Amino acid sequence: MIEELLFIRQEVAPELIAGLWMSIQLIIPSAVCGLLIGIVIGTLRVYGSPGLKGFAGIYVLFFRGFPLLVQLYLWYFGLPRIGIYLSPFAASVIGFSLCSGAYQSEYIRGALQSIRKGQLLAAYSIGFSHTRAIFSILLPQAVRRALPGCGNELIYLIKYSSLAYMVTCIELTGKGSILANFHFKYLEIFIIVGAIYLLLVSVVSVGLNYLEDRIAVPGFDRPKI
Amino acid sequence: MAEKVPVLSVQDVHKQFGDTPVLNGVSLDLFRGDIKVVIGPSGGGKSTLLHCINFLVKMDAGNIYLNDTRIDQSRKRELYAYRQKVGMIFQDFNLFDHLDALHNVMIGLVQVRKLPRSEARQRAEAELERVGLKDHMAKYPAELSGGQKQRVSIARALAMEPEVMLLDEPTSALDPELIGEVHEVIRAMAALGMTMLLVTHEIGFASTLAKEIYFMDGGRILEQGPPQKILFDAEQARTREFCSKIGRLNENSD
Repeated sequence: MIEELLFIRQEVAPELIAGLWMSIQLIIPSAVCGLLIGIVIGTLRVYGSPGLKGFAGIYVLFFRGFPLLVQLYLWYFGLPRIGIYLSPFAASVIGFSLCSGAYQSEYIRGALQSIRKGQLLAAYSIGFSHTRAIFSILLPQAVRRALPGCGNELIYLIKYSSLAYMVTCIELTGKGSILANFHFKYLEIFIIVGAIYLLLVSVVSVGLNYLEDRIAVPGFDRPKI
Repeated sequence: MAEKVPVLSVQDVHKQFGDTPVLNGVSLDLFRGDIKVVIGPSGGGKSTLLHCINFLVKMDAGNIYLNDTRIDQSRKRELYAYRQKVGMIFQDFNLFDHLDALHNVMIGLVQVRKLPRSEARQRAEAELERVGLKDHMAKYPAELSGGQKQRVSIARALAMEPEVMLLDEPTSALDPELIGEVHEVIRAMAALGMTMLLVTHEIGFASTLAKEIYFMDGGRILEQGPPQKILFDAEQARTREFCSKIGRLNENSD
């Protein structure tokens, strides 16, 4: 038992912590870019000009339709064919952001469509431009409504970040696999890896709940769970 | 007529929704200080008319003049400036749900008028005080009664210093007790000389306020005249038929 713990502390922990650090570096920019892409694409799908609406629709079709792993392969193994060489890290972040953006945009679209038309009319009636009305009146409401869904996507992102390993960006799952193969201790190491993801997801859930409370206003309340 | 140029002139407005004509050539003039009331059955085009005047609904044909200047809605800056001059009150209030009362009134001043926040706040507080909501400034729409919401929306429109107010059934979503407090605010606006075009079913209230009543049905102004004439001595059979019914319903209203 002591031997096992020592093994974990000396051989496993440093490696997994390095992997976890890489995962976090992948997740944070992907989550931020994904949300921003989602807000832009979701807004264009509802309020864009016909051309932009079409573009946004096609964007969602492809980035939600292609399996993420295939997308990552295209970014990392496919692009060199046309002379573009991405690092494993860059290919992963780009792949995650674009894919996450497609999913996020659907939450934003749904939320925007659920806002009564009168909100827009009222903004126009006091002299708002279309764009300003969307940014100042509609999106602040839509983001509040979309937050539970967007948070769900963020949690999903945390877990699919493990696919970066497939394009040689060695993050938490990658480190785990290497260790498990090397020491031939699959059960122990993957339980630890899974528990780290669980911990990460739990921390993010608590953060999201806090954020939902912080930006809640009467009328956009959610039932307390 | 003391003044030659109307503040707001609506000329020959046509609007069709699909194959259904809703407005069939509506014209009217509002001179400074005029209070004119539009009555008529639901579906007669009253609401659509007000929405067309504010270009919230695109009209098929017709022109709108503000102080003798034709509004060209394809020139966006002109349109936005025009909408500030023509305040609009909606039947269902349309307060911005994510902002408290104070910020509902402030947001136009800050974002459209580009006033510094402190000045906008002062102005917004003054407007809310004027409609009797000094103690409710930090409340969100979901925490306000219908009458309070409508008063916030009036304050929000007034903050933009409009020359004309369009009121689209401002009290029809309210219960009788709340109607009174909104009427009081409208009366106060009238006393200050605000030019108003009011669509309402509150004929009793309208007749004490209006200089002229328009009776609208089938997308046309069928008849217009002073309240007493329209309500009790209308020329058109259709007007008489409509007024005989609401006359009874409104006997007890203010």
